[in-house]
Amino acid sequence: MKGRRLLASLAVAALLAALPAVLRDTFLLRVATEALMWIGLAVAFDVLAGYTGYLNFGHSAFFGIGAYATAILMARAGWPFAPAAAAGGVVAAAAAVVAGIPTLRLRGAYFAIATWALSRGIQQLALMMTVTGGPDGMRLPPFLHPQFFYYVMLAVVAVTFFALWFLLERAPFGLKLKAIREDEQGAKALGLNPTLLKIQAFVLSAVPTAVIGGVFAYWVTFIDPASALGDLVSDQALVMVVFGGMGTLIGPVLGAVLIFAFKTLFWAYLAEYEVLYVIILGAAIAASVVFLPNGVLGARLRRGFPRRPLPSAGPPAPLAAGKLEA
Amino acid sequence: MELLPQAVTDGVMLGAIYITIAVAFSLVYGVMHVIDFAVGEWIMFGAFAGFYLNRATGIDPFALLPAVFVVFAALGWVLQPLIQRVLSGKRGNPLLMGLVFTFGLSLMFRGLAQTFFGFYSLSTPSRLSNGSFFFEKGRFFLTVSHVRLAGLAYAIAITAALQYLLKHTDFGLGVRALAQHKDAAGLMGVNNRRTSAFVYAIYVGISAMTGVLIGTIFSVSAKMGPEYTIFAFFVVVLAGMGYLAGVPAAAFLLGIIQSLFLIYLDPGYTLLAVFGVLYLILLASPTGLFRKGV
Repeated sequence: MKGRRLLASLAVAALLAALPAVLRDTFLLRVATEALMWIGLAVAFDVLAGYTGYLNFGHSAFFGIGAYATAILMARAGWPFAPAAAAGGVVAAAAAVVAGIPTLRLRGAYFAIATWALSRGIQQLALMMTVTGGPDGMRLPPFLHPQFFYYVMLAVVAVTFFALWFLLERAPFGLKLKAIREDEQGAKALGLNPTLLKIQAFVLSAVPTAVIGGVFAYWVTFIDPASALGDLVSDQALVMVVFGGMGTLIGPVLGAVLIFAFKTLFWAYLAEYEVLYVIILGAAIAASVVFLPNGVLGARLRRGFPRRPLPSAGPPAPLAAGKLEA
Repeated sequence: MELLPQAVTDGVMLGAIYITIAVAFSLVYGVMHVIDFAVGEWIMFGAFAGFYLNRATGIDPFALLPAVFVVFAALGWVLQPLIQRVLSGKRGNPLLMGLVFTFGLSLMFRGLAQTFFGFYSLSTPSRLSNGSFFFEKGRFFLTVSHVRLAGLAYAIAITAALQYLLKHTDFGLGVRALAQHKDAAGLMGVNNRRTSAFVYAIYVGISAMTGVLIGTIFSVSAKMGPEYTIFAFFVVVLAGMGYLAGVPAAAFLLGIIQSLFLIYLDPGYTLLAVFGVLYLILLASPTGLFRKGV
């Protein structure tokens, strides 16, 4: 089993590395690069959503922070690409710590809306400031080399995936996060520090998101508040994670590939019905919650490997006793 | 300085509207433990219902409120069992799933609204729209439009009605019992499903009615939802989650912040300011302004 899995991983890695040699068509390579990008974004989203049980609607804000930091450092300060993208990750880490300290005290639902407000606030900031170019956006020094961006994206996403795999599936860190997800009070009683762990998870989710944002900015050479900071990044990452299977690493990858394939086909044939895509996205989220609570992966696991416990199918968490004083 | 009384008055009247949204929102959280991400979309649908009904029949939007309430309460009544189903059953992390579900609904509603109602900003005319009271004393002056005053009266009426319902009826007793302890309330004979469905129906109805007013006082557009969802949340968190008595103060604070920004500073920064205030208050007191939240 172990050898087979290693062999499969090596085969996937070889396939991904050889892809640009096979895909002569620039459009297809672009699609492949974007698919990798969404895989990275979905996996990073799942650190908070699936493993810790917190929905981060500020995911797009961190994507945008990375994109804008890279763009500003490259276009205004003349930095080369690699340190600029790394600096984007550092800025995002700092932003995650600062934003996380008060908002991660909020339980589940409230954290989701607080991060949503944060992302809208940052979008307003980018619209109003001069250094970001306001609503006109920013241009980066163009570098038109599709193979380069494919490999950079592949490298960033692969490092993200394996770092998260090690931290969440092999190191105790993942178990600690799951303990918080299942019962925060219980985790506290075991001597864990939930606030610190949640902030660490937030940073762990924000940094790769921002670096991917930086690569995205340099790749498309033009960013504006709508494209880099719009809600689509959070919304789509959420659909991918829920559809694929929360609380696993393979689930988001599967979800990202499926949803992105659908998106690409949709835009290729039905581009004039832009709003329809949002409707379908919303319906897909609602429907997968009702019919696929453990995602495509969960549904498959249940049929294929009945011995393996489902990642997030523990007993429902007890509801916090609410108060209603009028 | 001359504009300060105006800013505060506008803020209070705006805050009154937010109270009606936040009280119902808080009630649903207390009973169902779900944060409805679609609250802004219910407001938006209510606003469009007011706009189109007014255009079709010519009846003043204020007179349409009961009809809008009945229709939307019925919608909420029909939808609630689905949300209940997501929250219960054998799924992991039901609260997160409930949130994801209502988020999906809100995305779908917004898309549908953009498809059917277009991207334009509209406004519902009312007989009260044109009149206003004017006060002047020395350098200070104050304009209070009739329609905003009517909005204030509506907010007071709704809050009083909800207060009566919660404190002086058997239904309200059941609601409070459910919020305190679901299982114990069930053992005492409170029908969880039916009470939750009623609460959700009342909430959707009130949100839609408030939407009609917002469409009359401000404007109606398919993209208005998220702003009100964020404001509803702001008020509820600031008040302390589930602490209804804190809602008015938090709502007035939000209204005044917003109107001060509108008059003195750049309105483009409103959401940033809202987040900033929320951030500072949560940093100092995570359980809301009165330290009474859950």
